[in-house]
Amino acid sequence: MTVAFYIMAAIAVLGAVMAIALRNVVHAVFSVLLFFSALAGLFILLLAEFIAVVQVLVYIGSVGILMLFAIMLTTKVTGDPTRKLLSRGWAWGGLVSGALLLAFLVPLITQSKSESNSQLSNFNPSVKDLGLTLMDPYFASVGVIALLLTAGLIAAVVAASSASGE
Amino acid sequence: MTIGLNEFLVVSGLLFTIGFVGLLIRRNTLVLFMCLEIMLNGVNVALVAFSQFNGTMDGNLLVFFIITVAAAEVAVGLAILVALFRKRQTVYVQELNALKN
Repeated sequence: MTVAFYIMAAIAVLGAVMAIALRNVVHAVFSVLLFFSALAGLFILLLAEFIAVVQVLVYIGSVGILMLFAIMLTTKVTGDPTRKLLSRGWAWGGLVSGALLLAFLVPLITQSKSESNSQLSNFNPSVKDLGLTLMDPYFASVGVIALLLTAGLIAAVVAASSASGE
Repeated sequence: MTIGLNEFLVVSGLLFTIGFVGLLIRRNTLVLFMCLEIMLNGVNVALVAFSQFNGTMDGNLLVFFIITVAAAEVAVGLAILVALFRKRQTVYVQELNALKN
């Protein structure tokens, strides 16, 4: 468990860093896919198998492919070498996010570990439990999400076809 | 040494910060979308970890909703991006300044 966690975490962080550091956009998308699959591994370590499956299905299966299609439809994949990679004032951005990282990590590292959060509980939700919880207290949210997906579908079609109709 | 909640939260914070850095410093809109996805996934790790270590179901369901909203956001966002590229022939944020002035 420990070794698997560190391997997965290292792959995830590496994939994320490569995604923001590479100039070639297709390579960046592939490292994002690596990141997504490492996260699916972390979810399996956390005993959330169904979320891991959904992660593979939604992120690797559709979001990644959608991004590859967007690259195909828009820009040169290798990136324009005459352009600067970073935006103006990037140092301020780095500073702000360094402060954010400190704000995240300092409480986690300095606080003492209590016994309760140092081991996984025996909680192992089945997909059936998940579906029942989704239906009982979260039914209204499911409706809103369904509406949102429909609206997103229509909006995507309208936005993508409006420019070509002229 | 056993893996506790803190380790997962450290990974989650790291991933969120990496996505945030990318969002602030890169110029390519496609890369900005990827950074948004990285940030959302970092939050998902924290939510699933909280859910499992506390023995409640709510974090898992929240992750479902986040994944759904992220998928819808990517679909709409990339459609807008393609439409913008057809109109302006660029994907770089500093040239997408139609609302400036």
